[in-house]
Amino acid sequence: MSATVEQVRAAITRVHAARDRVLARRTTDAVIDALAEASRRWLAPDSPWRNRAVAQATEPTGFSPAMVNEIVDLIFSQLTHETLGELLDRELGDRRVLDEFSRRGRLQTRATGPRLISHFLAGNVPAPGILSLCGGLLLRSANLVKMAARDPVFPALFVESLAAVDAELAGCVAVLNWPRTDAAVTQAALADAETVIAYGDDRTIAALRQLAPATAKFIGYGHKVSFAVVAREAMTSDNLPALAQAAAFDVSIYDQQGCLSPHVIYVEERGALSPRRFAAALAEAMAEYQQRVPRGALSVEETAAITTIRAGYQFRAESDRRVSVWTGPDANDWLVLYEDDPVFSPSCLNRVVFVKPTDGFPRVLDNVRRFAPLISTVGVSPMNERAMAFAGDLAQMGVSRVCEIGDMQRPPLAWHHDGRPNLAELVRWTDVG
Amino acid sequence: MRKTELQDRLLAFIGGASDDFNALALEIFAFQREHNAPYRAYCDRLRQPVHHWQDIPAVPTSAFKHLPIACFPVAEAAAEFHTSGTTADQTGKHYFKTLELYDAASAPNFRAHLFPDDATMPVLSLVPDDPRSSLAYMIRVVGGKFVERLVPTTEPVCVLGTAFHFLNLFDAGFTSQLPPGSRVMETGGFKGRSREISKRELYRLFAERLGVTYVVNEYGMTELSTQFYDHRTGSDRKDVPAWARVMIVDPATGQEAPPGQRGLIRVFDLANLWSAMAIQTEDLGVADGDGFQILGRVAGAEVRGCSLTAEEFSQRP
Repeated sequence: MSATVEQVRAAITRVHAARDRVLARRTTDAVIDALAEASRRWLAPDSPWRNRAVAQATEPTGFSPAMVNEIVDLIFSQLTHETLGELLDRELGDRRVLDEFSRRGRLQTRATGPRLISHFLAGNVPAPGILSLCGGLLLRSANLVKMAARDPVFPALFVESLAAVDAELAGCVAVLNWPRTDAAVTQAALADAETVIAYGDDRTIAALRQLAPATAKFIGYGHKVSFAVVAREAMTSDNLPALAQAAAFDVSIYDQQGCLSPHVIYVEERGALSPRRFAAALAEAMAEYQQRVPRGALSVEETAAITTIRAGYQFRAESDRRVSVWTGPDANDWLVLYEDDPVFSPSCLNRVVFVKPTDGFPRVLDNVRRFAPLISTVGVSPMNERAMAFAGDLAQMGVSRVCEIGDMQRPPLAWHHDGRPNLAELVRWTDVG
Repeated sequence: MRKTELQDRLLAFIGGASDDFNALALEIFAFQREHNAPYRAYCDRLRQPVHHWQDIPAVPTSAFKHLPIACFPVAEAAAEFHTSGTTADQTGKHYFKTLELYDAASAPNFRAHLFPDDATMPVLSLVPDDPRSSLAYMIRVVGGKFVERLVPTTEPVCVLGTAFHFLNLFDAGFTSQLPPGSRVMETGGFKGRSREISKRELYRLFAERLGVTYVVNEYGMTELSTQFYDHRTGSDRKDVPAWARVMIVDPATGQEAPPGQRGLIRVFDLANLWSAMAIQTEDLGVADGDGFQILGRVAGAEVRGCSLTAEEFSQRP
C-alpha cells in the first residue's frame, strides 16, 4: 500500500511522540536488551517471525524460501546483547554517554541521537536496512523508514517483532512504502529529518540528496563491487574443500545481489594446486549450495544475461585453453567461468562468478586500481602477514574492507560500512566544562 | 556442393529465385561446420542433432571478439568489419571472403522499406565513412552519401543515421523542414553514450525539427549481412526477408519461446555464408506475426547500481 503525504506527516508526529516517551523511560541498556531479545526470537527454527518472513518475502524479493531462512540466520545471529553493546562502546567510547554526562578528561560530555532519521532502504539485500533502523533505535531517535518495493517484508516484520518485546520502543519506528517517483511524499518524509540515510544506486542517492533539506545530515551508501583473492599458501589439497565452500557461500548468499558479493575470485599461481583446480572445487561447492539453498526466481532479462555470458564462454572454451566453464544440471543455476586474463570482469550476478589466475597481488592491484572507490570488500585467504601487507596496499587505494573468504557477507556489526563509522557520525555532543 | 556454387545459389535466392530455405540452411550449416574450426568444436560439444534449420547451433556474437568466425583463411578476407569497443580485445571482427552476398542482401531490402513507392531522391548519411564500420559500408551500398551537415533543400531527401547522430543534430539546435516526401532511416546507436531518449521522443523530434513522419528503424549488426526494417513507417514489427529467419529463444530453456513471450533474438542469415549463418544476438525481442519486435539489449551493460558500464570496468589499466 502506498503512503500519502498526510500519512507520512502523521507517522512523523507519532514517532516523535514515541521518542519523547522512550527518551524519558529507557536506558541504552534497556534498548539493547529489547533489540537483542527481538532478534533472538527470530532465530529458533520454528520462530513465527522466521516463518512469516519465509511466507511473505519469497515473492517480492525473488529469493527462494531456503535463502530467506539463510538470511534470517545471517542477520539476526549478529544482533546480540554483546555485539550491540560493543558497537556503541566502540563508536562512542562508552554506551553510557547516551544516558548521562560522562567524564572525558577535563570535560563532561554526553551524546544525543538525531531527533528524526529518515531511512531510504534498497531492495537488493535486507541486512543493511535492519541494521540501519537498529542504529537509529540505539540512539533513541525517531525513525521513518521507506522500504524498497522489492523488500516490503523484513523491516516491517522486524518492527512488529520488536513491538512484541517493547511496544513503546517499536513505536519510534514508522515503516512505510511509496513509489520512488512520488516526489511529494518523498519530500514530506525528508522535510523534518535531522539525518537522512539512503541506500541504493548512485542515481537514487543523488536524487534524494537533492530533495533533502539543506540542514539535514545526508549519508548515502551507494552500490559497490567486491572481489576475492586466494593466495598461493591457501592452495593445498587439505585446505581446498573448505576454502571452496567458503567462497561458494560468499558468492551465493543473497544470490550475489549484495555489494559485498564477489564478482571475481583471483587465484595466485605457483601454489601446490593450480587456479583451475580451485575453479573446479568452487563449482562443486556452488552445486552443493544450490542443492541446499536454491537460487531464486529470475526475470527473463536476468536469465537472458546469464545465458548470454554462458554461451559466449562455452563457445570460447572449446577452442581457447585459457577458458573453462562449469555449470549445474540446469545450466543457469550458477556459473563458474575460468578465464586466464587478469582483467576484472563484472558479473551479471545471480551466482555467476569469474575465477582468474594471477601471478600475484601487484597484478591484482593493477587491475582494480581504476575503480578503487567503488570497491567495498576484498576477501583474502589466508589472512597471513603477506595478506596484511596486501590489505595495506588496498587501504591506500581506498578499499574499505578486507576479510577472510567466507566472511565477506558477515561484516561485524561494528565494521566501518563503506569506510565510515555507523553511529559516531550521527550523534551530537554536549560538553560541560 | 562446392562453396562457389552455394554462393551462386544464394545470390539467386536473395535475388528472388524460389528455393527451399531449410535445405539451403542445412547445406550452409554443413559447409560452415566443416570449414570453421571453432564452430565445429562448439557443435561437437553441444551434440545437438540437426534436422531442421531451427536446430542449427548459433554462434554468440561475443565469439567474434575472441575467435576467427570465418570459413576461409582470414588473411584472404576482402573486407572485415569491426564492432565498436573501447579496447582492442573488445572489438568483434566479421571477415568477408567477398561482399557479393552482403551487397545483394542490403540494397533491395533497403529500397523495399524506404522507397516502397519507387521514389528516387538523394540519400544523405550522417554516419561518417569508416572502412571498418559495417553500417558505413551498408550505407554506401544503398547509395548514401556522407554529409557533414544537413542543409535546406527544395527536393525531398532520405536521411540515414544512428539515433545518436540525430540527437546530436537536434541538440545542436538544428531545425529545417525537409520537403514533403522526405524520409528518415534511424538505427540503434546509443551504446555507451551519455544521453538516451525514448523512440517516441526521437520520433517526435523528427516530426518537429525535420517535418518528417516517414521514419523507418533499421536493425542490423556487424555480425550479420542482412538488415531488418520496420514493416512500414510507424510499425514496431520488423520484416524478415526470404533468405533469413528470426527465432525468439526462451533463455531458460534454449528452445523457441512460446508466441508472445519475450526472449533472446536468434538470427539465421543465409547471406552470412562465409562466417556463421546462425547468430545468437544479445538483444531481447518478441515474435510478431511473420516478423518480430526488438525490446532492447540484455541488461548488464551497466553494472548494477555502480554507474560504470561493464566495458568501463574491464578497460585495461
